[in-house]
Amino acid sequence: MLPLLETEATHVSAQLILQQVANGIAKGSVYALIAVGYTMVYGVLQLINFAHGEVYMLGAYFSYYPAKWFGYVPESGEKPKVPLYIIGALFVGSMAACAAIGMLIERLAYRPLRNSSRLAALITAIGVSLFLQNAGQMVFGADPKGFPVFMDQHSVSLGPIELANTKLVIIVVAAVMMTGLHLFVQKTKPGAAMRACSFDMRTARLMGVNVDRTVAMTFALGSAMAAVGGVLVAMDQPRLTPLMGLLMGLKAFIAAVLGGIGSIPGAALGGLLLGVAESVVGTWSTTYAEAVAFIVLILVLLVKPSGLLGKSGREKV
Amino acid sequence: MRQALTLLIALGAVLALSLTACKKEENSAGTSGVTDDTVKIGLFVSTTGAYATFGTDTKNGVDLAVEEINATGGIKGKKIDLKFQDTASKPEEGGSAAEKLATQENVLVAMGAVASGISLSAAPVFQRSGIPMVSPSSTNPTVTQQGDQIFRICFLDDFQGASCAVFARKDLKKEKAAILMNQDDAYSTGLAKFFKAKFEALGGTIVKEESFKKDTSEFNTQITNIKNAAPDIIFVPAYYNDVALIGKQFRSQGVDVPLLGGDGWESGKLIPNAGPGTLDGCYFGNHYSQADDREVVKNFVANYKKKYGEAPSSLAALGYDDVYVVKKAIENAGAFDRAKIREALAGLKDFEGVTGKFSIDENRNARKPISMLKIEGEKFNLVRQIQPEEVE
Repeated sequence: MLPLLETEATHVSAQLILQQVANGIAKGSVYALIAVGYTMVYGVLQLINFAHGEVYMLGAYFSYYPAKWFGYVPESGEKPKVPLYIIGALFVGSMAACAAIGMLIERLAYRPLRNSSRLAALITAIGVSLFLQNAGQMVFGADPKGFPVFMDQHSVSLGPIELANTKLVIIVVAAVMMTGLHLFVQKTKPGAAMRACSFDMRTARLMGVNVDRTVAMTFALGSAMAAVGGVLVAMDQPRLTPLMGLLMGLKAFIAAVLGGIGSIPGAALGGLLLGVAESVVGTWSTTYAEAVAFIVLILVLLVKPSGLLGKSGREKV
Repeated sequence: MRQALTLLIALGAVLALSLTACKKEENSAGTSGVTDDTVKIGLFVSTTGAYATFGTDTKNGVDLAVEEINATGGIKGKKIDLKFQDTASKPEEGGSAAEKLATQENVLVAMGAVASGISLSAAPVFQRSGIPMVSPSSTNPTVTQQGDQIFRICFLDDFQGASCAVFARKDLKKEKAAILMNQDDAYSTGLAKFFKAKFEALGGTIVKEESFKKDTSEFNTQITNIKNAAPDIIFVPAYYNDVALIGKQFRSQGVDVPLLGGDGWESGKLIPNAGPGTLDGCYFGNHYSQADDREVVKNFVANYKKKYGEAPSSLAALGYDDVYVVKKAIENAGAFDRAKIREALAGLKDFEGVTGKFSIDENRNARKPISMLKIEGEKFNLVRQIQPEEVE
């Protein structure tokens, strides 16, 4: 069935495209937040952490339960008045919990296999992902959960385009987090240790870098970023399911590959490009938006196999 | 040695039990599933798995009706002995549940299921065994095409989609409709197709058709396209958890034209998930309305609330009606005889149920009205009922 081809073509104006670009940036900001987790772990361990999408799902749930416990239900017509510090606490709590989960996954599932074949680690990652999906269904229940209304959603005009205020929050928070992460990795000592491990783990160890701690920190940071994505999405699109990480994880992984896996600015660029491509193609056909967006990605990778900002010549899985 | 002995004793016990069971059957009053003071009626719905809430609601409605009937003398003096099978939300379980009800329990009539897939796997078994099956809420057209023993008491998706179009054109006087559907769901695409055909036949235009994939939670691209086409009504044939998100995102993009949908919208979670006020002034078609002031509806709603502490859903209402339809058919047949009951079901006319006054047509489907509801605050208020004649 091709429902979209049956209707008459609507007029596609520059304003419409601009609006779709803005929609895409909001969508892509979330992809980017999750893509950095893939890219950082790959940079250090050359491991594709397939359980990362599930960490994002857990991030959403870790904010859902406190939010529900906080129990704010606005009356009809009343605007939600939740103090900013409570929203902030939700983010910090979920980030901390996810960072702990990320380190736990690394300690229990990946560290024992660090010197085994890469395939073994990859298969373990898929196993952890399946485990978390099913554990999520058992613990949280398979039925979708609605996140409490914490922010009054309304549209904001920015010149020719209009965006929901929650989308603006997503874009701003994601930009701040990504910049912060980039500065951390480039300017601080632990960040330098991470980069050192990524260049050559054995030499880094010889130079006195605590490799185990650095790897654990990489997982913690990546997971905390995924948690931010989870909470932002939960507030904007309040439907939580234990399988919500599946598609998001896949898209974020593709964004990481597109940007050049191993590169943090690459993950940001890849995420934004994927989001914008999906939205702009969707102006003509939402049915084929994803397919066309993925074809674009394949073309990019054909021309530049290491991704847009990736370093060429490195061995890949 | 000792183990062997225990085994033997256990075997003996099982044999003795099954023998007495057989004896009991022989003593019963000749006709299947009927004893001197009880009549066995089967029920198969899913009370576990993905459709668990639908099945549980249905079973609650059925249990209430059985309780009422047994408290007031039963069916022709015999109490209903309800035999329940859980189909666990799996289509293949429909067949095995049907086998159990047909052979082990030997029920007189069977009721079920909610999900069309499960009804479709159970129907051939009942058809072969000559047991009438009455589905409360399977809307897929092929269900009753499985054979002349298979009936249903709900309306079909083609009627539902067309009724929404009639309502949008004639009652709301809308001219430009947009559609946003779930492209991976036959229910959603089916309603969209029938809505479109009727809306255009009545002189309206479909200005934009958009679709989304299963499990999508971000609809901004589609919403921007729909907004650009400037419709005066938006048809969203989806389930409540999608509708909550879609409604929210339409409003946060500044689109405030009414949304319209079908029975998939009905849920106590729709308004809490969408947020207060989001869906005010939107409409959907449903099997019944709690606000209906007919005596049968008032009693049902009051008794259901008393027993379960919550308002009954459409599925509960359909389960409740299903039992009374079976009762009526047995009474009309005048005997506990499957062939006669089948005839009585096929000829059922003007049955006064909670879900409206309905008859069974020549295709063994219910011919009944749809209730168009308007969302106002937390309430779903009845605007009017649309009769089948209006849509044809």
